[in-house]
Amino acid sequence: MSTPEDIVRLKQLKESELLDEAWTHWKANREQLDETVALLEDPDPTMRSLAVEEIDSLSTNLAELVQTTIPALLVPPSKTSHLGALMELKSGVGGSEASLFLAELLRMYQRLANNSRWHASVVGKNDLENGGIKDAVVEFKGEGAYDSLRWESGVHRVQRVPATETSGRTHTSTVAIVVLPLIEETDSQQDELFNMEDVKLEVMRARGAGGQHVNKTESAVRLTHIPSGVTVSMQDERSQHQNRRRAFQVLRSRLMDLKLTREMEERRSTRRNLVKGADRSEKIRTYNFAQDRVTDHRIGLTMKNLTSVMEGDGIELFIDALKQDNAESAMEAMLEESD
Amino acid sequence: MSSLLASLAKSLRSQSQAAREFKWMQQHISQHKHSPDIIHEYVRRRTAGEPLQYILGTQPFGPLNLLARPPVLIPRPETEHWVCKLAESFTPTAQKPISLLDLGTGSGCIPLLLCNLWPQGSVKAHAVDISPHALKLATDNAQLCGMQSSQQDHQTQNTFSTSMANFLAETFPDTATRSNAPFDIITSNPPYIPWNEYLELPRSVQDFEDPRALFGGPSGFNFYHAIARLISKEDILKPSGIVVLEVGHDQAKKVESLMLETGRFRRTEIWSDPWEKQRTVVAHM
Repeated sequence: MSTPEDIVRLKQLKESELLDEAWTHWKANREQLDETVALLEDPDPTMRSLAVEEIDSLSTNLAELVQTTIPALLVPPSKTSHLGALMELKSGVGGSEASLFLAELLRMYQRLANNSRWHASVVGKNDLENGGIKDAVVEFKGEGAYDSLRWESGVHRVQRVPATETSGRTHTSTVAIVVLPLIEETDSQQDELFNMEDVKLEVMRARGAGGQHVNKTESAVRLTHIPSGVTVSMQDERSQHQNRRRAFQVLRSRLMDLKLTREMEERRSTRRNLVKGADRSEKIRTYNFAQDRVTDHRIGLTMKNLTSVMEGDGIELFIDALKQDNAESAMEAMLEESD
Repeated sequence: MSSLLASLAKSLRSQSQAAREFKWMQQHISQHKHSPDIIHEYVRRRTAGEPLQYILGTQPFGPLNLLARPPVLIPRPETEHWVCKLAESFTPTAQKPISLLDLGTGSGCIPLLLCNLWPQGSVKAHAVDISPHALKLATDNAQLCGMQSSQQDHQTQNTFSTSMANFLAETFPDTATRSNAPFDIITSNPPYIPWNEYLELPRSVQDFEDPRALFGGPSGFNFYHAIARLISKEDILKPSGIVVLEVGHDQAKKVESLMLETGRFRRTEIWSDPWEKQRTVVAHM
């Protein structure tokens, strides 16, 4: 019988397998390099030129291992890689122009989901008459959805001349995005997030005599998680049953988000430098149509050709860069802690 | 579009309720691939007071999506709440199945939700109503929920049967009901609105829903008296049976007394609805 400690150790071994492989690979390359260097003194000129070629390729291999392979393996594996994402988009300053931009962002993320093989479904949305969307809630299910989309939280700013603007003035409008981890009802982690006794379930509004006296649809619900004070209201569906399920799903996501943020804060307080990115009121990206560019303010990355971001797969470059940036700061933090 | 929404808001006296109902109408139209123009018709009917449930033809009830057809009483959220609570308060098993009688079943919402929430093969439900419209709708809803009729006598499934009967009549129980008796549970959401309150009902209730599902006699208690008489008879309830009755906003205490006066019950409970009205009287033998 294996004890729990054995299992932990086995898991550790299993997780370090790839790193061990890379290290063995690096050592073998290094030894080979030492041996090859000796051949540079060989009296045979053919041998010498072969040695030069060999050294060249070995050095490339070693550099690749040190600069890319090993660092990637050293970054602790994501604990959230299996989670889907719940994205809330709200139009901010800029009125109807903001809601038009929100509709475009929504399409951009739906295309990203399609390319990434996630399943995206809009679970709540308020359309406006101009074709814009006032706010929307989208569920992304699939491996890695949360890890990719979490960096989209924050204020997205658009600068352009609205189609409705006759004087040709450039307007600035914003859309605020919050991305939460999506906890499935079947996920074992959900049990740890709250106790049912701590959740107060309320129905909305007075109903007079109620019962047979009233036949108005009354399906809105509000949940309050008493220990944390988190409240969730849901009224999109005619079915109270469905509103309740949705509300519990959002509650689980909010509580998971709080938990992840708390864990991040705890790690941060043990470190001297601050990890960027948790502030959701911060402007994170600008989409400037006149200059045909998209700039991410957190990593200072600018991409020309805005259309490739809005209509193509340019958004993936930003997401990859942000993931890379996160991995690098995680590495830095690790190095600092080991000092 | 905006003028439609505005007239809906004016009629419902709520901008937000109008926006939601308008969205549900649009969802219904796109789901059923109706012509988009039909929204004008829907809004016209709604502003004339017709319940949204009759216009869209359905009403969610727990996890079920039941058909709603005029003039049969539309299932209410208060009923949804106590039926879910009843389903959670105990669970029959297929090894020891129970029998249930629902008096004045209307859309069939009470027995059908219980049949859905309880394990298969654990309940045999019989429902009566005086209205042929109600019985047709309850039967259609049963079919929609994938229910078996008891004639097929499936041992492994929950079953649902109906018969037309007036439970105010001296001749009740009818033959079909008697053949299913005695019952472990009798449920009912009988008409309970008294005369003075009936006159004050909102238009969407008074002009569209069946008065026979709403009007409970001059004082509102006619049907509770009939139920008290019924359960006083031998052989209708099993020795450990329970009776679960929905009541009007101020009727719980009186109905509880009526049940206790039969001398058939050991104890009673009153359940409140989510809007803090005493809504359900539960009497245990």
